[in-house]
Amino acid sequence: MTTQTESMHPPATDLVIGMAGSGGDGIVSAGESLIAAAAAEGYHAMMTKSFGSQIRGGESSCRVRIGTSALHNPGGILDVAVALNWEDFLRFGAELPVSSQTVVIYEKATNVAPDQLPLGGVHPTDVFAVPIEEIARKAAGTDLAKNTVVLGLLAGWFDLAPDAILRGIRKRFAKKSAELVQNNEKAFQSGIDYAKANPLRQARPLARVSRSTAGLMLLDGNDMCAAASLFAGCEFFGGYPITPSTEIMQYLSREIWRYGGAVLQAEDEIAGIGAAVGASFAGKKSMTATSGPGMSLKTEMLGLASIAELPLVVVNVMRGGPSTGLPTKPEQSDLFQAAFSGHGDVLRPILAPTSVADTFRVTVEAFNLAEHYQTPVMILSDQEIAQRKETVDAIDTSRFEVLHRRVPTGAELESYERFRATESGISPISHPGMQGGNYLAAGIEHNDKGDPTVSGKIHARMNEKRFRKLDPLRHRQDLFAIEGDADAPLALIAWGSVAGVCRESLARVRASGLRAKLLVPTLLWPIAEGVYQDFLASVQAGLVVELSHQGQLYRMLRMQVDVPRGLKSLTRSGANPFLPSEIAQRLEQLAIDLQSRVSDQKGEG
Amino acid sequence: MTTVQLTSKDFKSNLKPIWCPGCGDFGVVQGIYRALASIGRPPHEIAFVSGIGCSSRIPGYTTAYGFNTVHGRALPIAQGIKLANPELLVLVAGGDGDGFSIGGGHVPHAIRRNPDLTYLVMDNQIYGLTKGQLSPTSACGLKTVTSPHGAIEHPVNPLLYVLSYGAGFVAQATPADMAGMTAIIEEAIRYPGFSFVNVQSPCVTYGEDHQQVKAHRTAMKTLASMGHDPSDRMRAFELASHYGEQLYTGVFYRNPNPPPTYGALVKERQAALAGGLPRERILESFIQR
Ligand SMILES: Cc1ncc(C[n+]2csc(CCOP(=O)(O)OP(=O)(O)O)c2C)c(N)n1
Ligand code: SF4
Repeated sequence: MTTQTESMHPPATDLVIGMAGSGGDGIVSAGESLIAAAAAEGYHAMMTKSFGSQIRGGESSCRVRIGTSALHNPGGILDVAVALNWEDFLRFGAELPVSSQTVVIYEKATNVAPDQLPLGGVHPTDVFAVPIEEIARKAAGTDLAKNTVVLGLLAGWFDLAPDAILRGIRKRFAKKSAELVQNNEKAFQSGIDYAKANPLRQARPLARVSRSTAGLMLLDGNDMCAAASLFAGCEFFGGYPITPSTEIMQYLSREIWRYGGAVLQAEDEIAGIGAAVGASFAGKKSMTATSGPGMSLKTEMLGLASIAELPLVVVNVMRGGPSTGLPTKPEQSDLFQAAFSGHGDVLRPILAPTSVADTFRVTVEAFNLAEHYQTPVMILSDQEIAQRKETVDAIDTSRFEVLHRRVPTGAELESYERFRATESGISPISHPGMQGGNYLAAGIEHNDKGDPTVSGKIHARMNEKRFRKLDPLRHRQDLFAIEGDADAPLALIAWGSVAGVCRESLARVRASGLRAKLLVPTLLWPIAEGVYQDFLASVQAGLVVELSHQGQLYRMLRMQVDVPRGLKSLTRSGANPFLPSEIAQRLEQLAIDLQSRVSDQKGEG
Repeated sequence: MTTVQLTSKDFKSNLKPIWCPGCGDFGVVQGIYRALASIGRPPHEIAFVSGIGCSSRIPGYTTAYGFNTVHGRALPIAQGIKLANPELLVLVAGGDGDGFSIGGGHVPHAIRRNPDLTYLVMDNQIYGLTKGQLSPTSACGLKTVTSPHGAIEHPVNPLLYVLSYGAGFVAQATPADMAGMTAIIEEAIRYPGFSFVNVQSPCVTYGEDHQQVKAHRTAMKTLASMGHDPSDRMRAFELASHYGEQLYTGVFYRNPNPPPTYGALVKERQAALAGGLPRERILESFIQR
C-alpha cells in the first residue's frame, strides 16, 4: 500500500510548515528544533518567526521550510498547519495561508469539529484533531511538553529527521535534568506513535538529501550582519535598542571586545551614531544599526558624516511604519527615507541584502564602500531577513576583499590638506595621532585644507567633489544580479527579502515555458541608470515587486530611468507576504495580455 | 603618549577668530593654549571636539585635530573618539545652549560613563551665534528677541546639574582671571575622568552689562579664598546652588578617589576577552555541530 502511494506521489522535495500558539506553547522553540535537525541531516532549512506585540505570552508563530535544494524564501501556502489554538493561529492571517492541499493538525481540546475549521471555506486533504495537551500530560506529566509532542507528530507523519530531532531534544534538556530528557523523549515518541496510528491519506515523506554538512551554518540576518562587520574590521558600534535590529548590537556587545573594539549603548540614537562618527574620525571602522524611527533621529548626523567625508556603516532593519507601526513585521517602506531624508545636496549609497547568506556580502561591501569613498553607507535590511534563521553553506571568506581608507603617506603629510582636490575626488584621510595630519573636521563647508568658508565657489566645488567620488558606483554591474532569459520581454525587479520570492516565481514561469528575467539590485541608490536601461531594453511588460504601499523603488526608477510603459508596480503593505505562486500568475497574465496585444495588432494590420 | 616642551604659540592656528571684538571666548582660547602648553602633549595627540555656536568655533583656532560637529552632540562624538583611541587627549567645548539645551540629555550619560575627557562650557547665558535668543541659563525675566516680554522660565544651574549626576571634577572660571582660569583648565585636563568647567564667558554683543569681564573682576570670588575644601561634595552643592547670584570661581568638587575611567574598564574587558576566533574565521561559531 505504502509503496503504491509512494510510486504515485514521489517524495516531496520541499515542505512548508506553519505553527501558531500562545507565547508559552513553545512554538518557536519547536521550530528551532526542527530546522536544527533538518540542517544536521543536510537539508536546506529556513524559519521565520512572527509575534504579536506582547512581550510575553502573546501569540507567536513560526514558519519552517525544509527543502532538498537551495531555498530563497520562507515559502507560500502551507503544506502543514499546526494550531495549538485557533484564536492565535487566525491572528497571523496572510502570514500562514492554507489551501485544500494543506494538512491541518490542531489541538483537539479547542473543540472545533474537523469539518468546521475556521479556515475560510478550505477543505484540507487531511485534518487531525490531536489531543496534544493530553498526550503531553500522559507522557511527560506536564503540558509544557506540548511542543515536543508536535515535533513527534511532524517527525512521524513526514519522516522529518526523527533521529536528529531526538538528539536535539536530548542536548537541549541535558543541561536541565535527566528527568526532563526522559519525559521529553517520551513525549516525542508518543507523537510519533500517534502519527503512525493515524496515517495521512497520502504519505508525504520528505525526500532524503545526501550532501556534506561540513561547514553548514544556521543563523539569522542580524547575527550575520554583526559577524560580517567584524570580518570587515569593524572596531566600534554605537547604538540604541530597537526592534528588529537589536540583535546586531547584542551580538557585538558579546564579541567585539575580543577584537580590541567597543560597543557603546548610547542614551539615544543620536548619541549612538554620534559616537560611531567620532570613532570613525579617530580612524576606526565603525557602525550603527537601528530601525525606522531611530533612523529619523540619526539623520542630522548623516549629513555631518557626508560633509566631513567620514566612513560609516548605518544599518536600518526595516519594519512596518510610520512611527511604531508594526515593529515586529517586515516592510520595505524606508527607501525614500534612506535616499532622501538628509538635508542639503548629498548622496549616500544604499545597499540591500536579499537573504541571510547575502547579508555577509552586503555588509562587507558596505564597509568597503564606506572606507574607500569616505562616506556613510546605508544597509537596508528588513525584519524578515534580519530575524529569519536559515542554513547557509560555508562561506569562503578568503574570496572577500577588505578595503581600508586611504591614509596619507609620510610624504603627503609634509604638506597635508585633508580635502585636497584629487581626480577621483577621494582625498587621503588622516586621523588624530598622525603627526602632520592635523585638520579641522567640520559640519561647516570648508576649503581643501579644512578651513571653514562661506564661499559659494568653494561650496560648489566641494559638492561636485563629494558627488564625483561616487560616480564609479553607477557602473558597478556586480552590484546587480540578473537571472533568466537575457532578451526576455517579461521582467521582474525586486530587492531585499522580496527578491527571494521573485526568484522562485521566475523559476516557475520559466518552467512553464515563458521567457522572463529578474533584476535584483544590491545597490539601490544611487540609481545605476545604465544597468536598468540595458536590462529594460528587451522588456515589454513586467513588475517591480515591493512590500510597501507606495512602491518606493518603482517611483525612484520613474524619476531617473526611462522605464517602458508596460513596467508596473506591484505593492502590498508590510506583514502581507507575497507568495511565489501569485507573482508567477501575475507574470503569466502579463504574458497573455502581451500575446493578445500582438495578435490584435496583427489583426488590425 | 608623548610630552614635549611646548609654548602657547604651538597651539595657535592660523585661522583668525570671527568672534566679535571683546568676546569672552578670546580669553578662553588663550587660557586653553596656555593650559595645553603646560600639559605638554603635542597637538596631533589632541582631539578637540565642539558642537555649534560662537563658542564651538574654538577647536579651529587651535592646532589640535579639531571636530566642529553638530549642535549639541559634541559629547557623544567625543566619547566615540576616546573609545576608539584612548591615548588621545580629548577636549570638548561648546556653549550653554549647546550643552544644556539641545545637548542636555547627553551630559548625564557622559558623566555616568566617566570617560577621561574635559568638557568646557562657555556659558554666556544667551544664544550668540543665532543672535541673542533666550538660553537655558538665561535669568528668569530676561528680555531677548524670543522673550520680548521677559522670560517666564527658570535657568538651568549647570554646576548643580553635573554635580548631581556624579561628575568627579566640577569647576567654574572666568576669563576675567586669566591665571586662575588657565590653572583650572589645566587641573581639569589632568583629572583622570570626566571633568567639567563652566566658564563664564561674556557675550559683548547680546549679553547684559553685569555679565561682562569688567563686572566679573569685581564680582568674582575664588573658592580658595573662602577656604573651600574641594573634596567636600555636600559643601560643593551648597556653593554651587548660588549660580546666577554669586560668581564663585575655582574647583567646587574634585573626587579625592577617582574611580576607574570608562576607558580603563574598556581596556580591562578587551584584555580579558582577547583571543577570539581570527576575524577571517568569525563565521565558524555558527557552524552546526
Ligand atoms: C539642529 C540645530 N538647531 C539649531 C541650530 C541653530 N543654532 C546654532 S548655534 C545655536 C545656539 C547657540 O548658543 P550657544 O550654544 O549657547 O552658543 P554661543 O553661540 O552662545 O556660544 C543655535 C540655536 C543648529 N545649528 N542646529
Ligand atoms: S555674538 Fe556674543 S558670543 Fe558670539 S562672538 Fe559675538 S560676543 Fe561672542
